[in-house]
Amino acid sequence: MDTFANKLSTSFRQSRGFYGALLLLIVIYAFYNILHPRGFSSAVLVQNANETVAIAFLAMAQTVPVLLGGLDLSVGAVMTLTSCIASELVSGSPVEILFGMFVTLLSGTAFGLMNGLIVVYGRLQPIIVTLATGAIAIGLALFVRPRPGGDIDGDLNWAVTNSLWDFVDTYQLFDPDATWFAPFAWIPVPLIMMFAIAILVWLPFRKSVTGRTVYAIGSAEGAAYMSGLPINRAKIAAFALAGFFASCGGLYLAIQTSSGNADVMQAGAYTLNSIAAVVLGGTSLLGGVGGAVASLVGACILRVISFYFRIVSIDPLLQPLIEGIVLLAAVSLGALRTLRVKNRLDLFR
Amino acid sequence: MKLKALLITTAASVLMSAGVSFAGPSVVSGPGVEAECFAPWSADTKFLQWPKKEGPYKVAVVNGFVGNTWRIQMIKTAKAYAEDPAVKDKISDFKVVSTGTDAPAQLGAIEDFINQGYDAIVTIAVAPDGFDRVIRLADKNDVVIVPFDNVLDTDKVMQVNENQLQMGQMWGQFALDELHAKGVKGGKILEVRGLPGNSVDRDRSIGINEVFEKDGGDWEMVSVVGNWDDGTTQKVVADAIAVHGQFEAVVGQGGSNGVIQALEDAGHPWVPIAGESENGFRKAIAEHSADGLKGISIGQSPGLVAIAMKAAISALDGNVMPQLISVPLPVATYKELKDGENYWSDLPDNFFTVNEFPPCGVNISGPAIMAQDESDTN
Repeated sequence: MDTFANKLSTSFRQSRGFYGALLLLIVIYAFYNILHPRGFSSAVLVQNANETVAIAFLAMAQTVPVLLGGLDLSVGAVMTLTSCIASELVSGSPVEILFGMFVTLLSGTAFGLMNGLIVVYGRLQPIIVTLATGAIAIGLALFVRPRPGGDIDGDLNWAVTNSLWDFVDTYQLFDPDATWFAPFAWIPVPLIMMFAIAILVWLPFRKSVTGRTVYAIGSAEGAAYMSGLPINRAKIAAFALAGFFASCGGLYLAIQTSSGNADVMQAGAYTLNSIAAVVLGGTSLLGGVGGAVASLVGACILRVISFYFRIVSIDPLLQPLIEGIVLLAAVSLGALRTLRVKNRLDLFR
Repeated sequence: MKLKALLITTAASVLMSAGVSFAGPSVVSGPGVEAECFAPWSADTKFLQWPKKEGPYKVAVVNGFVGNTWRIQMIKTAKAYAEDPAVKDKISDFKVVSTGTDAPAQLGAIEDFINQGYDAIVTIAVAPDGFDRVIRLADKNDVVIVPFDNVLDTDKVMQVNENQLQMGQMWGQFALDELHAKGVKGGKILEVRGLPGNSVDRDRSIGINEVFEKDGGDWEMVSVVGNWDDGTTQKVVADAIAVHGQFEAVVGQGGSNGVIQALEDAGHPWVPIAGESENGFRKAIAEHSADGLKGISIGQSPGLVAIAMKAAISALDGNVMPQLISVPLPVATYKELKDGENYWSDLPDNFFTVNEFPPCGVNISGPAIMAQDESDTN
């Protein structure tokens, strides 16, 4: 009975917000490519992917605490901290580079773990804890890298921020012009990394007991507790995972810019944008509904809106205003369901 | 399927062009073109030459942060200059975007304009590093990138700026000369600094302090951080006056309107003041110079964007250009201020007065910028 069509329709009913966001993304991205003089080319896709990776990882990072019903105000700061760490470590021999990446990801995860431990055992509100630890992360970032700079491997920068063809070409893995390779050669490496991490890390987590507990806490923490779910473990894991995703963003940012920069304003802007991306993807700020892949889509929408300013002519001083209005309109689409609720109590979900 | 086929063919064409070695500018020997406008930074500055392109050109300005008067005025100046008869015929498309303080977004915007086939991209970099990839792409496509104001730590692109160290030295020297003229040989000097961690703040402060150190007088430097912002500066200067009582002179990097306001509020006697080029600061100097407010006003001009655009067009014309262009400092002391010429009593206080660079033929006056209609150039 449980056919594919059935599964699809169930999935559609359960995550209407996500499918709406996906449709919106496909429409606005296709239209952008039609308007672009070199639309639908690998070069444009590579550029767009590069610009989106950092915010997409942060949106995924933000999703996990939001599913709990909290907010993590430290994600931008953790990204900045880890990019500064990466700018010190990701250079030298291949082994040293891999070690540097490992330490970068580990430090971000550890920072997230610390957030989780403070939230759980300090019995504090996540928003306050992460506001404070975010400031600590920025302080550490400034300590690690008082002035912008760094020495990230140039080949790595070129290989990872390009299409698969350049990746293979840079590291001489095999003949990049091989015929069997041609159908994949145009795919941007950053897109692959983004989706690989989303699929390899997020999907297994969501299916695990810990992951499902995160959703349960967001829906009704009391009920989750009474059902004997591992609440503390889930909360700690959620913040640690947020730290991991944020450090993925930081690592990529460092590789992309070949440097680290403890930019306070940029950290703040990324934290705010990550929340916007989460909401755009259809995840509820009240918790319990949504997912990291949806936020990835939300982050893409957020970016594509700003792509338009380079194609169509809008007065530069009006651009922030227009961007805000479009964002508001996009988020409002998610509220359309309130027009058709049968029971007013549904509004509280 | 059609889309996939299209993607594959374009990918293939990209790959073929990728085989060509990087083009980009060649390093040549000087002197460069229009030396009185495009002055090389120092004797060691190398000269670059791009392959000549046929005009008219597509030019984009990729700004970072937007939201203070300086940046808004910079954008208005860029639009006014694009309409200037001297360059209007050489520009076929002109776009301005602001990306906020977001490095990937700024890099992305630059790369997007390269993909769109723009010939020149003028930018204020959000970070001094991290542009390797876009520089590589620009060289590959013979696109001229010109960072100005906040420049990059690289010698691979042509850049435009004012000499910040020299600006600091001139501020310090002026204040010192005025104090000597009054017969003051020592005392407390208030230094108002800018945004911490910024290279501009660092260089200006070094310039100011080395002048007072060399003098040998008994000077005590008191430093406060005003972030180049009128409000912050007013607060920290007021605090400093409350703590230290009286200063012999104030040397500020910016937020000069705040310095004036704080001194006025505290009833502090007028002393020599060095500061930026805000209209309000110049109004105050003109009004109170007879009472002791001996002022010097040097500005980082929002008009630098026009010089950067002019330099980009000149490079596309195939001219020899210095890699680092030093724009002469626009200086005005209390002796030279004239209403309607280098300050305007009918324009707002936070307007930046210096916009004209006669050696470069860039003559966009203050009222012309303020009159710039915001909806026409697009």
